[in-house]
Amino acid sequence: MACDLNQNDEQRQILDAATALLEESFPVSRSLGDDQERIDKLAEFGAFALALDDDLGGTGFTLVEEVLLHVRFGRHIVPAGALAAPVAARIAAELGDNDLAREIATGQIAVSAGILAGDRLRTLDDTKAKLALVFDRRRLELVEIANADGETATGLGQGAELTEFPFVATTRIGASNSASILNVADLLVSAQLLGIAEAARDLAVSYAGMRRQFGKPIGAFQAIKHHCANMAISAEMLSAQLDMAAIAQRDSRDDAAFQTAAARLLAPRVALANARLCIQVHGGIGFSAEADAHRFLKQAHLLRQLGGGAAMLDLASPMAPHR
Amino acid sequence: MDLTFSPADEAFRLTARKWLADNVPADRAPYEGQASRDFALAWLARCNEGGWAGIAWPEAYGGRGLPPERLVIWYEEYVRSRAPSVLDCTFVALNHAGPTLIACGNEEQKAFHLPRILSGNSVWCQGFSEPGSGSDLASLSTTAVIDGDELVVNGQKIWTSYADIADYQELLVRTEKGSKRHQGLSWVICDMKAPGITVRPIRNMAGVSHFAEVFYDDVRIPLTNVVGALNDGWRVAMTTLGFERKTAAIGLQLELSVRVEDLILLAQAQPGSAMAERLAELRAETAALRAMTYRTLFRQPATTFDGSLVRLRFAELSQAIHQIAMDILGPDGLVDSHWTHDYLEAYSETIAGGTAEIQRNIIAERILGLPRE
Ligand SMILES: Cc1cc2nc3c(=O)[nH]c(=O)nc-3n(C[C@H](O)[C@H](O)[C@H](O)COP(=O)(O)OP(=O)(O)OC[C@H]3O[C@@H](n4cnc5c(N)ncnc54)[C@H](O)[C@@H]3O)c2cc1C
Repeated sequence: MACDLNQNDEQRQILDAATALLEESFPVSRSLGDDQERIDKLAEFGAFALALDDDLGGTGFTLVEEVLLHVRFGRHIVPAGALAAPVAARIAAELGDNDLAREIATGQIAVSAGILAGDRLRTLDDTKAKLALVFDRRRLELVEIANADGETATGLGQGAELTEFPFVATTRIGASNSASILNVADLLVSAQLLGIAEAARDLAVSYAGMRRQFGKPIGAFQAIKHHCANMAISAEMLSAQLDMAAIAQRDSRDDAAFQTAAARLLAPRVALANARLCIQVHGGIGFSAEADAHRFLKQAHLLRQLGGGAAMLDLASPMAPHR
Repeated sequence: MDLTFSPADEAFRLTARKWLADNVPADRAPYEGQASRDFALAWLARCNEGGWAGIAWPEAYGGRGLPPERLVIWYEEYVRSRAPSVLDCTFVALNHAGPTLIACGNEEQKAFHLPRILSGNSVWCQGFSEPGSGSDLASLSTTAVIDGDELVVNGQKIWTSYADIADYQELLVRTEKGSKRHQGLSWVICDMKAPGITVRPIRNMAGVSHFAEVFYDDVRIPLTNVVGALNDGWRVAMTTLGFERKTAAIGLQLELSVRVEDLILLAQAQPGSAMAERLAELRAETAALRAMTYRTLFRQPATTFDGSLVRLRFAELSQAIHQIAMDILGPDGLVDSHWTHDYLEAYSETIAGGTAEIQRNIIAERILGLPRE
């Protein structure tokens, strides 16, 4: 059995390049605001087209690399628009509009991620994007919001910017409930949540090594050690499952839907748990808005609203007994 | 202990209920700043006029000297009436500054401060924590030097809730030069309007500011403001923390019961099977365990310690699964079956081959590089 759940050199190279870009453009401690310029840089890098067909601007990488890239996005709390774009490009292509797909994939047309709340469309940013990708349970829809009147407000204790549109005021472009696109969306969301879980772990570990109380680094106390160990276990669990799912989806294996659903179910739990522990390990400053710990928590709350909800118990599990 | 209330208690309950029904403000309390202070003090003043402020305080200091049973009844009715949360800027004064003065203060201090607190005329804050001294409070380094009949304070406090809207502060300072840890500290009443005090509010993760940094630059405080004996502040501070961690919490804890009742209503409006959800989670977790197992097995180059991650995940997941099996089996779980057997066996998983605690130490030290104990 060929089973490689570890990264190869080529994968590492593209990730290193992406990390350098993210470190420059997306510091975790940045204030809320218009991120569009930063997102454009990602588009230039080719981030949204990475795994698309060549004629859509693809660069020959696969979904597996794309997923790993989105883990890095998660670590840097890249806005959800960067997740909406590659999914929206796939939907446009599925609808037969390759020009639109290309424009989205190259960043000429910006896309926001949105969710439905009753008859309102709520995008998870304040960008002036032309389009929004609407996550409506097991259905994705591409709509135009450029001419709809949106109202921007902050949410999550000034930790997020949200824009609300009357859904009827948007122009519908087309919808998809294709399993493969839904799986891609779930994988990218899970990947970003994993990035959050990893970054929260790393931040907690580095603080624990630095902060001293009772004459020692707090990381020398078992209670703190165990919090950190729990973060490491959770992140490793999610990371392994995410790779498994990405490979299954890339290779169109029978268990792709199951593996993806499993990753998507675990991802928000793991990200939220690690973000919470990261706050706890920081003590008072973790509760303040001055440390970064709370940013991971809030981004996890935003991301978990996107997609998910696959009927886990109805999917074929590779380990289920033959009935 | 028993939980029966006398007819007199029940009458007290009804009186409280009626008063609350007639007086609880309809508005929600503002989150921060002067508006939150005005709201809280107005509500406290109203409670005081109705005879409900500090009901457990001695009569001599404006209270009613009521026993704990009555306090419990009061808080039960209080939270049921959806009255403003007890955790507001009056909390410090009512729940630990006032009680500390009653326990350790002198008559002048009590006569001056206690009536002001109950009538809703002063807000207190607590200046204990410092940037370098949080959990390890006894390492604090803000100093106070005696100069004539005054103390001169220099240093910094942090995380001081309500400092921006407070009149007075429970200030813990080092009054004996060169003293170490619990020795040489004093608990002082600090007037927050004294020259040399700078308050810088800090925004919290909920986006509001109700704690702050407080800087002291040659702040002069009369020696008569020392509560208890000079250099005996640790004992007084422990009295304060005793109140903060005990009686103050009654109202807060009861509030949580009301929260759960609200949650049940919320949940009833959104049906879904908790057991199905939990089984779905177990499916996801076991899928991930399988992925972890393979990854560890095939990792190149092989590493020494990541087995601890899988091993521990397995042990705890195994226990969780078997605990759910017992939940599902209900009374049938009492009869021996492989489920019951495996459930009992699973208790060894977090002990045999290195306990869960030791595995976590290994992960933290060997994989994450945290310092050894
Ligand atoms: C909302 C809020 C309001 C506050 N209000 C006030 C106030 O009004 N007045 C005031 O004086 N203070 C106040 N505080 C401060 C509070 O008391 C401190 O934050 C707390 O004591 C922790 O100290 P620290 O923040 O320095 O964290 P640290 O002590 O640095 O702790 C960091 C982490 O290390 C852990 N740790 C430390 N030592 C050990 C050990 N020996 N073993 C195991 N784990 C350990 C802690 O549990 C924590 O997880 C407030 C804090 C908050 C969050």
